[in-house]
Amino acid sequence: MSAAVSIEYLRKIYGGGFEALTGISLEVPQGCVFGLLGPNGAGKSTLIKSLLTILRPTECRGQMLGQPIGHRATLSRVGYLPEHAKFPEYLTGAQVIEFTAGLSKVPVAKAKKRTSELLERVGMAAWADKKIGTYSKGMKQRIGLAQALVNDPDLVFLDEPTDGVDPEGRIEIRKLIEAMRDEGKTVFVNSHLLAEVEQVADEVVILARGRIIERGKVSDLTRRGLHYEVKIQGPVPPALRDKFIAAGFKVAGDRIDIEATDVSVVQPVLDALRAEQLMIREVKEARLSLEDLFLSAVKLNETKTAGV
Amino acid sequence: MRIFMTLLTDSVRLLRARVLFWVTLWISVLAALLYSSIGFDETGYSLAFGLVHFNDQSVVRGSLGAEILYLKDFSDYFVGIWLSWLAVGLAIFSSASIFPDFMSEGSIGIPLSKPVSRLTLFLCKYVGSLLFVVLQVTLFCLIVLVAMRVRIGFWNPSVFWAVPLVTLMYSYIYSVVVLVSVKTRSVLAAVLAGFFVWFLAFGAHYVEEGFYWATRTQELSLFTDSGHHPKTDNGHSSAASSEEDTDWKRWHDYSEIAVAAMPKTSETTQLMDRLMTVKGPQMSGSLVAAQTGQYGDLGEVVKKIKTRHSPFYIIGTSLGFEAVMLALAAWIFCRRDY
Repeated sequence: MSAAVSIEYLRKIYGGGFEALTGISLEVPQGCVFGLLGPNGAGKSTLIKSLLTILRPTECRGQMLGQPIGHRATLSRVGYLPEHAKFPEYLTGAQVIEFTAGLSKVPVAKAKKRTSELLERVGMAAWADKKIGTYSKGMKQRIGLAQALVNDPDLVFLDEPTDGVDPEGRIEIRKLIEAMRDEGKTVFVNSHLLAEVEQVADEVVILARGRIIERGKVSDLTRRGLHYEVKIQGPVPPALRDKFIAAGFKVAGDRIDIEATDVSVVQPVLDALRAEQLMIREVKEARLSLEDLFLSAVKLNETKTAGV
Repeated sequence: MRIFMTLLTDSVRLLRARVLFWVTLWISVLAALLYSSIGFDETGYSLAFGLVHFNDQSVVRGSLGAEILYLKDFSDYFVGIWLSWLAVGLAIFSSASIFPDFMSEGSIGIPLSKPVSRLTLFLCKYVGSLLFVVLQVTLFCLIVLVAMRVRIGFWNPSVFWAVPLVTLMYSYIYSVVVLVSVKTRSVLAAVLAGFFVWFLAFGAHYVEEGFYWATRTQELSLFTDSGHHPKTDNGHSSAASSEEDTDWKRWHDYSEIAVAAMPKTSETTQLMDRLMTVKGPQMSGSLVAAQTGQYGDLGEVVKKIKTRHSPFYIIGTSLGFEAVMLALAAWIFCRRDY
């Protein structure tokens, strides 16, 4: 699969000398949902803005949709929903979408057609002709998503897409992102809501202090902490407990944690429990959540940085 | 073109949403109606649709005096005061926030992430901001055009010179507002800077004109009709007066240099007198020629003062100033991180 975004080297030092990106490299495959995670000030927005020419990187080598990063014409194939998007309050929802279409050089007739379709898609058709000033935050966010898609982009950058959206709306947005992926679009999602990113993203990178501290497929990353939990009725008898600990398992009360990537390792444990005629309540495959992974990666990075 | 039309449409929508735009527009309509309330009859002229009447044989219906008075009122009061000062002042207040709003976090990201250069965005936004004045003055002139047809009997499309002239004058000041707002993103700082430059240019213009006036009137007193120096009682020419004349001239030269680089706000709108034409049966020519032609030598001096700078110089140097302001603003706009 070719890369939608291929950053060879990207560095940004702001005027005051603050190094927001320390020279990162990154590949975003085409047709995937790519999650960008990191604590505040990690450089997430700087990265997105650099790719979209909203700010000028100190040094940048790489390609986006097959063209050098910063190639202006390529931006007609890109959609963008900024964080805290602010649309002019004198415009209606439909006018906001048509305005973006105009800047993306979408022909007028096509823009009108796309606007109607997208308003339906984000559930804002009934509000199309109402002024933005009368919208709730969640409604503005839906309009923001629609305008990001008006040019039928190949690559979409969504910066905090669910910001201010109610739970029902979040589910709809997640479905929308999945639909974009099914259409072959590459979606770049920057969100603080890790559980959401975990549900929708195929790959993620974690940024901290301008560096990439973790990257990979979500399934691979969360698989790192793969283990099995076995729970029984009552505490584990001392004899068995000692045996399990000796085998390298963790035992706490009624629970036995088995670190393994293969379920066959669990079978002798179950056999031993049954031999003692103990009641097995639960056998569960457990993974690290993205949140666990994020927190441990950030903590590890801080420890390393402090050590340096 | 698609991008230009998109940004222009957005500018029109922005104007329509501004209360101050509508307030100014309605005052413009009222001012134009006030102008059209001036009427002429066989004995003189009247105001307020005939409510107040003045007997004056020099401005009776169909006379050159009536035509000049009507055009002069338009040029001096309605263009010179209402459009050039009050309407432009309100326009500056109303449009000073356009760039800071456009450049605010959350707003600027979407336009900048599109396949349009920053310079194009900047220039389209600037041109769109001038619409405030273009629309106001055009509507005003339309009403005035009809009023002239009704009051003095013929169509005078030269009144539409007010549209480019007032817009130009506004654009000089607005370029300063844009530079400061792009640099500081502060509406207040931008408005204050705009008004400061405006009053500075206005003051400098009148100082320069004052020196020029002194030079010309001095000349008038030194020369006789035949072109010779008048003699003093003892038969010698007035050396003291000549020295004084040289002093005025020197001061005028200094002031001329000082104002050369400044926007000529007053002179730009005063070009109305030179571009607006008198079309009556008695004479045909510019308003300034029609006015000064009646007053002999003094009229000639006034004409010289009014026409001491060519339109090319007035507009050219002012546009030079505007170009520098805009180039700086565009450079900051294009170079900055958002």
